[in-house]
Amino acid sequence: MGGYGDVQCIDENGIRLDGRKIDEVRPMSIEVGVVPVADGSARMTWGLNDVIAAVYGPMEAHPRKIQRQDRAVLDVRYNMAPFSTTDRIRPGFNRRSREISKVTAEALESVVLTELYPRSKIRVEIEIICAEAGTRCAGITAASVALAHAGIPMTDLVVSVASGKVHDIVVCDLNKEEDNYGEADLPMGILPNSGELVFLQMDGDLSPDQFQEAWDYNMEAAKVVHKHMVEALKRGEA
Amino acid sequence: MAIPLVPKLLRAHLAELAAEDMRHDGRGRFESRDVELEIDCLTRAEGSARVRMGDTIVFAGVKFQIMTPYPDRPNQGGLMCSAEVRPVAGRQWEPGPPSPQSIELGRVVDRGIRESGCINTEDLCIIPGEKAWQVILDLFAVSDDGNLFDAFALAAIAALKSATIPAERFEAGEDMPLEVSKTPIMCSYHKVGGRFVYDADRREELGGDERIHITLGDDDHVHSLQKGLKGIFTAAEFAEIMNEARSRCAELRDLVDKAIEGE
Repeated sequence: MGGYGDVQCIDENGIRLDGRKIDEVRPMSIEVGVVPVADGSARMTWGLNDVIAAVYGPMEAHPRKIQRQDRAVLDVRYNMAPFSTTDRIRPGFNRRSREISKVTAEALESVVLTELYPRSKIRVEIEIICAEAGTRCAGITAASVALAHAGIPMTDLVVSVASGKVHDIVVCDLNKEEDNYGEADLPMGILPNSGELVFLQMDGDLSPDQFQEAWDYNMEAAKVVHKHMVEALKRGEA
Repeated sequence: MAIPLVPKLLRAHLAELAAEDMRHDGRGRFESRDVELEIDCLTRAEGSARVRMGDTIVFAGVKFQIMTPYPDRPNQGGLMCSAEVRPVAGRQWEPGPPSPQSIELGRVVDRGIRESGCINTEDLCIIPGEKAWQVILDLFAVSDDGNLFDAFALAAIAALKSATIPAERFEAGEDMPLEVSKTPIMCSYHKVGGRFVYDADRREELGGDERIHITLGDDDHVHSLQKGLKGIFTAAEFAEIMNEARSRCAELRDLVDKAIEGE
């Protein structure tokens, strides 16, 4: 997290740079079937984020060393397209995308009934076409919709949202400026039906009260996002 | 790319259809799939386009960087074109460093644009010998159902034509549109069941032989050619597809011009 900088992210009336209230989620849309050649896919726009997730499989797991005798493995790749940010990103994996791929795989493996498909793999491809802030949350959310669209059995969807702190005020669903100039970021992966968690990260500085506030914002925001996910899947069925 | 297991049966099927002058999806030999072209669809890119041809979907995004001109060309900027087919685009595309296939894709599209001279690299110079614009064109496949070449090439020229040089952000003057003086268009023909067809889909690519890519400029000048994959073709076959390419390129050029005008 950067320092305060010069940017005033919230005005005296509690209105943020993009016009939202502090507990409001950015506008979003979800559509399934956007990668016609994939077994399941979803595109999510969330603020200025634009994310495509595609699922292939279950299929034979190769190389063989990744096979597990008792379950399927999730082969998850999170990637930012070269034109997804203000400064072009050189193609190829970096440490950040590897870490996000790993925690995303672990979040999704917590809900996919992998034991139904021993020795196989399920490929999950997350491509960030346009990035604002919270691409990992959008990626996990879109990937869980794509898995459901592919008909992969799961105990629940995963809704991922982040709250954080700017100018010592806790705000829900950080935008780019708040991410750059804010003091804390708390992304979570929530199972909407049980309220359980499968993904959790945090960086920055939060007091115990602020932490609880951010946590509660995420729980509330997850309900909003979940509604969009379910509606997208229902539209996809029709 | 994973080696497909089914081509024998598929080849036989496509050959039977070819004998009746048919294609598996009901198209005529030189008929294309429906083409959709959308520009300015990527918020963070300085120029962008999305092309859909059947179930093939690609994006092209243009970004700019400041470069130091090459010592032998002190008053010229640069153009870089790279294609990336990531595993999102199909189960046959595997992760890892760029495959020879995706490198070929990027290079053939790059040649068509570069050699047409549609971008005057001298226009990209800011301070001779010190600063110039580098135009970076990134091609990104979302869904590969065949003929990524034509989809990439179409998205590429449309993205360039819609691009704005972000000079203000780099404190190098005012933002201005990128000058693109021509509209090079690629048409690709695949040998399927013993004869060339236009705009092959993924199954025709799998069960077909060689492919030929033709890029034509505004005045029907030829700017790039590429023969790919194993196969033998005759001069008469080439003359036939060249003739087809001339009329098809003109149609697609209109499509690009309309999209840019309607901006």
